[in-house]
Amino acid sequence: MPETIIELRGVHKAFAEHVVYRDMNLQVYTGETLTVIGGSGQGKSVCLKLMTGLLRAEQGEVLFDGEDVGEMGQRQLVALRRRMSMVFQGGALFDSMNVLENVGYALKEHTKMSDAEILARALECLELVGLGSDPNLIYRMPASLSGGMRKRVAIARSIAIKPEVILYDEPTTGLDPMNCNVIAHMILKLQRELGVTSIVVTHEMPLAFEVSDRIAMLHDKHFPFQGTPDELHRMSEPAVKDFIEGRVEEGDEGHGA
Amino acid sequence: MGESIREAIEWTGGLVRLLLIALGQGVRRPYGIYDIFYQIVAQGVRSLPLTFVMSLFIGMVLTYQFGEALMWFGAKNAVGSAASLALVREIVPVILALTVGAKIATGMTAELGSMKVSEQIDAIASLGADPVKKLVWPRIVAATVALPFLSVLGNIIAMASGGVIADMVFDVPFAYFYETYVTQLTPFDYISGLLKSLVFGVLVGLIGCYQGFETKFGTEAVGISTTKTVVAISIVILFTDFVMTMMFLPV
Ligand SMILES: Nc1ncnc2c1ncn2[C@@H]1O[C@H](COP(=O)(O)OP(=O)(O)OP(=O)(O)O)[C@@H](O)[C@H]1O
Ligand SMILES: [Mg+2]
Repeated sequence: MPETIIELRGVHKAFAEHVVYRDMNLQVYTGETLTVIGGSGQGKSVCLKLMTGLLRAEQGEVLFDGEDVGEMGQRQLVALRRRMSMVFQGGALFDSMNVLENVGYALKEHTKMSDAEILARALECLELVGLGSDPNLIYRMPASLSGGMRKRVAIARSIAIKPEVILYDEPTTGLDPMNCNVIAHMILKLQRELGVTSIVVTHEMPLAFEVSDRIAMLHDKHFPFQGTPDELHRMSEPAVKDFIEGRVEEGDEGHGA
Repeated sequence: MGESIREAIEWTGGLVRLLLIALGQGVRRPYGIYDIFYQIVAQGVRSLPLTFVMSLFIGMVLTYQFGEALMWFGAKNAVGSAASLALVREIVPVILALTVGAKIATGMTAELGSMKVSEQIDAIASLGADPVKKLVWPRIVAATVALPFLSVLGNIIAMASGGVIADMVFDVPFAYFYETYVTQLTPFDYISGLLKSLVFGVLVGLIGCYQGFETKFGTEAVGISTTKTVVAISIVILFTDFVMTMMFLPV
């Protein structure tokens, strides 16, 4: 049995009357790449935010390395986030800072690296996400970048600190096929060379099948379908088949439903 | 009715909580001196034109009104003494808090609100920093420094513009106006005026930031919380002013 790094046990999460998770269980093994799929508005982003302590579950436990994230105080959360970083769905780049300051943000917060070291690390990360060719990029402001570039800068910002676990919220949405490949390769490379554990939320099945060791499908407020890409392919449940074959079920996006 | 009272109490509670967290975080190293300085420049210096215009007209209008009223009693020479107390103790701090303060606060709400909506505040947290320390603390400190400073400046401008009106409209020489203006004031009047500005500054920073952090979803939400900031600032400033005036001027 592989080691577990993140475990969600009996998690219940609701916003007012709107229940997102009910008795949800999910395990993430150390060093694996787990892909989370599921219809829009069903709670994939919420799942990642629970893991990194941005949201707290009303019931159940969210364990990181055996410790309950929901119980952590400010200082423990900082320590947690030194080891686990998140790529936000919308990028969430800091508008008031240029690309270099964005990518170097966590390094400034967590480490005593000099400006030159931060610059070198930032360039290295930008190279990894396929943004290494333009030397002036680091001085540009996020507002002047294209959507796809912003997304990749956001990924660079999250990997800069060399976390053990990276949570990607739709890392390739809005990218052209070539850059999708760049990101897929980067995820695999980080896993192989640094043993990074990745949790990838995506709608894109080719990416899911390319990078995943396991896939978990969100359905009906929990993860009833989990398995390797092959296992998922062989599942006969209509919900899984529909999703994989592109007949995306639209989740109950209506609030309070 | 019961609902809105409950909401107001919750809102005040949230405000107090944010202030306590900000103070708790702020007194720890690093103090964020650079951010504070940046905010003072951003809020204070950019508010200079508005401060100037507001104070100019407040000084003129108030002196005009007092001059007119005092002329009735044949006491127009007392215009400097009358104007000084009202301006220094009350009008300049309050009007500047309601205009310049509201401008500063809505600016904060709009900025932090759009950061909230685009998940930048979550991103700060997830990159290992504390959003309250990074965003709220420097803004509250800056507003607390900037508003009294602007108030001092506003007082000088209001006095000068009042003196011009006294001289030109009521034939009270500028020098005489100045002299009566200043002798009327005790040190406590200056202090109470400044103290008001200081408290208003805290409130402006706090409400501006709190509303930004409380912004819900979507760009629309930023507009809603910004509007709420204006209403909240108006009510809270006037209420606080009333309480402080009662404290400073025991009958
Ligand atoms: N902070 C919040 N407050 C209230 N409701 C929220 C909050 N965050 C998410 N929700 C709600 O929870 C549900 C799940 O949202 P989530 O963002 O996780 O969906 P998702 O699966 O990531 O969808 P998408 O694929 O469109 O990104 C949605 O109905 C959303 O409206
Ligand atoms: Mg999402």
